[in-house]
Amino acid sequence: MDRVAVADRGRVLALQAVTLLVLLGLWEGGARAGWVDPLFVPAPSAVVGAFGRVGRDALAGLGDTLAKTAVAYVLSVVLGVAGGLALGSVRLLREVLNPFVLALYGMPKILVLPWIVLLLGFGTTPAIVYGTIHGVFPILVLVAGGVRDVDRTLVSVARAFGARPWQLYWKVVLPAIVPTVLAGMRLGIVFCLLGVLIVEMFAGIRGMGHVLNALANGFQAPELFAATALVSAASIGIVLGLDALNDRLARWRS
Amino acid sequence: MSLRVPALRLAILIAALVAWEVGARASNPLLYVPPSAVVPALGRLLALESYPDLPASLLLTLREIAIAYALAIAAGVAVGAALGLNRLLGRAFGPIVAALYAVPAVVWYPSLMLFFGLDAASKIAFGFLLGFFPITLAVLAGIRQVNPHMLTVARAFGARPAAVFAKVMIPAMLFTLVGGLRTGLALTVVGVVVGEILGAKAGMGTLINHAYGLFRTADYVALVCVTLVLIVGSDAVASVVERRARRWTE
Repeated sequence: MDRVAVADRGRVLALQAVTLLVLLGLWEGGARAGWVDPLFVPAPSAVVGAFGRVGRDALAGLGDTLAKTAVAYVLSVVLGVAGGLALGSVRLLREVLNPFVLALYGMPKILVLPWIVLLLGFGTTPAIVYGTIHGVFPILVLVAGGVRDVDRTLVSVARAFGARPWQLYWKVVLPAIVPTVLAGMRLGIVFCLLGVLIVEMFAGIRGMGHVLNALANGFQAPELFAATALVSAASIGIVLGLDALNDRLARWRS
Repeated sequence: MSLRVPALRLAILIAALVAWEVGARASNPLLYVPPSAVVPALGRLLALESYPDLPASLLLTLREIAIAYALAIAAGVAVGAALGLNRLLGRAFGPIVAALYAVPAVVWYPSLMLFFGLDAASKIAFGFLLGFFPITLAVLAGIRQVNPHMLTVARAFGARPAAVFAKVMIPAMLFTLVGGLRTGLALTVVGVVVGEILGAKAGMGTLINHAYGLFRTADYVALVCVTLVLIVGSDAVASVVERRARRWTE
């Protein structure tokens, strides 16, 4: 059994490596042979070389973007969890507000982007606000559902034993919704990052979105590819990190 | 009780509109447009006075969405089926697709704009990219939840692989598939509109950008309303299809 699993894992890794090498080889060869215009699709070797040239600007932009995202993320989590607790515990509030929340969640936020930029100008504030608008709703909706579905028996027993409201929340509801909050946080981070990047592209003067846009407008394809790879790797790293944290907490709880 | 909830919802809606009207009248008219100013702007827009090229723009945006969505379905079903049916492919590339889905897709847009230019092609490519991932992942998840006994039985009765896929797997995973198709449509629509707003020469996003750039805020809100009808309408069609598929599966 063990040996089969190891062999299987080896085959998977080999397939991944071979595919990657073949794709890179075709790409490099195609770019050198002139099948694709290097002005638009630079060879991998050119992209690697561009890391050195664009690295400092891109890293500075990425740092800027991540800082804004962090602020938007904290706001999203705090507002989302607070709103979710309120909507989840008060039945009337939930029934009345549910269609509005779902409409705001589902509405493509890109449509209000020009207005937000008009209102808040260029720079950090619109990025944080727009990132928060993106991140808060998935967390809010998930947490509200989680609070609503907290085991009624637990709540009744706690009440029967004379738990005060704050004790009920602190000792029963909050521990019960930890997995839901974590799932919301995992979902919210990508939305926050997306919101911040869109604002930077639309009306940015700093940040990764602005860097990417400037490189595209300057037809600096190798630098653009390098910067795109950098921000992609960063967001994959963040999400995988949150996933690992989730797994560890889940194992710890069980 | 049953009447109280709708009444409260209506009250909130009216209160929001009144607050918007009162607040907007007291503030800078370039930034805040009261509903009473949006209605005439919407009238002028629909009468083709403020933007005569509205029908052409709507049609272009719709066409971009349709092409991008068709491509996303074709590629998503093909890739999802390949990864779902072949265990090795699925284990090798499934995690990669899932990891790429975790990247905020808008980071690819500047590269697409550089490669495809400012015309429709870059919007189609971006809409395709956004729709592709949920469809692929839904097909993958759907295939994994098909009961393996049903496949064994179908094969035992001599069904060929294509017939097994079309007659056993698709019906068994229809529910998940249709959900993914609906998410894919919503994301494709968003992708096309985002692309148009971030940089385009024609389409609804360009009109919105134009109105915003000239501080024609009432026209901007009217254009947003029209675009919203397009978006909500496409999702309504998708939800009808979804409900029908659900009834059919049951």
